[in-house]
Amino acid sequence: MTKQTFLHDRHVELGARMVDFAGWEMPVQYTSIIEEHKTVRENVGIFDVSHMGELIVSGEDSLAFLNKLVPQNISKLVDKKAVYCQLTNKQGGLIDDLIIYKLEDKKYLIIVNASRADEDLNWMTRNQAGFNVDIDNISHKYSLIAVQGPKACDLIMSIGENYLPPFFSIKRSELFNINLWMSRTGYTGEDGVELMVKNEYAEYLWDKLLEAGKQYGIKPIGLGARDTLRLEAGLHLYGNDLDENTTPVEAGLTWSVPKDKEDNYNGKDVIMSQIQHGGRKKLFGFKMLDKSVARHEYEVYINGEKAGVVTSGGVSPTRAENIGLAYISLPYVDKIHVGSTIQIMIREKLHDAEIVKLPFVTKRNKV
Amino acid sequence: MDENMLCTKTHEYVLEKDGNYEVGITDYAIQQLGDIVFVELPEVDSEFSKGEVFATIESVKAASEIYMPISGKVIEVNEEIVNSPELLNDESYDNKWFIKIESEGNQIEFADLLEYSDYKEEVE
Repeated sequence: MTKQTFLHDRHVELGARMVDFAGWEMPVQYTSIIEEHKTVRENVGIFDVSHMGELIVSGEDSLAFLNKLVPQNISKLVDKKAVYCQLTNKQGGLIDDLIIYKLEDKKYLIIVNASRADEDLNWMTRNQAGFNVDIDNISHKYSLIAVQGPKACDLIMSIGENYLPPFFSIKRSELFNINLWMSRTGYTGEDGVELMVKNEYAEYLWDKLLEAGKQYGIKPIGLGARDTLRLEAGLHLYGNDLDENTTPVEAGLTWSVPKDKEDNYNGKDVIMSQIQHGGRKKLFGFKMLDKSVARHEYEVYINGEKAGVVTSGGVSPTRAENIGLAYISLPYVDKIHVGSTIQIMIREKLHDAEIVKLPFVTKRNKV
Repeated sequence: MDENMLCTKTHEYVLEKDGNYEVGITDYAIQQLGDIVFVELPEVDSEFSKGEVFATIESVKAASEIYMPISGKVIEVNEEIVNSPELLNDESYDNKWFIKIESEGNQIEFADLLEYSDYKEEVE
């Protein structure tokens, strides 16, 4: 039985094509993925991302508990700040990637992937012994609406928000007399906010934002464009680019892992060793040198030998070329660099691609 | 769309023209696929049996294989849509055929094809 968000009827009214995504019936596109993509790069788009999970971790030992779960140093997180984290297993593999917000002392909000919410809860519960913490799954009470694009902040300011939260921060706010959590985060590489609101106000907020956003060229954006936007921004998708057999180092997330964290966390020995010596594989970005499109799970060849696998691939509407992310396995990692040619097996034919630097499109959300 | 075209349940069409046949995909298929970004067509003179894959198209979301509605030999391919796949999404563009084929026009092969009006009813 697929679940529906509280905005489901709105999507249908707006003519969206609905698909199953991680057990949720979600809009994949309203008009055209390319058009929606461009709207977010040029103006502002509104997304229903209510399928994502929200957890509250609180209690006396919440800080120590989170420090055991993720490589990031939660002790350094100040009130209302957020940090991009990974939930790692004992081998350093990724159970999920998530954002942890410190709401107040001993109270944290965690946003997790829809496809991983059950696994995450299960893993957290298994790690809970000895910690005085409460893990509260509030996903069924809240809707999540993302407003993203170069005009997103203008729109939010125009409807009465005087102080936007700084990048990767959250604040309690009020829009159209609705109380909500507003965070300066997203999954598009653009500036913008994500609004966490009680389910009963989701439709009203959605309608009001669409109405107020008209002058900024706002459009509703489906999961199709969400995927092309995040890929251009070099952002990982769990299940494609991240899984339990991949470490943060292998996934190119070493920048997010502190080298001086004292607390022991799951997989720390593996991750620290890989930071020193490298992993079993490494994630690279590539662009196709012809018009063909690489897709998830296509094989990568170097000098005629199988050397890796594409984990995300598709169209870059901004660059007007086809791009992707691929893991290259260890023996080949040192042989390739930006500018190297690799080959992708597409329908039993090899197609040339070139390694390029990530992200594919410069992010514009650091303010 | 030409009312004389015959369609497959997998959304290809075939249309007789001057003794040969034009093959492509239906307007419904194009609409369902969304933005088309890549079209791969066979070479002239290649031969295909009914039901064989003769072309591949990629939309932003996914790749789709296109099957021969009847058997035949390719006599012309539409280079325009290979060079500019987005033309397939352009409602003002009429030249959306994929290939032209020479075929014996074996009537048995037409038995499971649907008239356009019946096809429309089936998909809607």
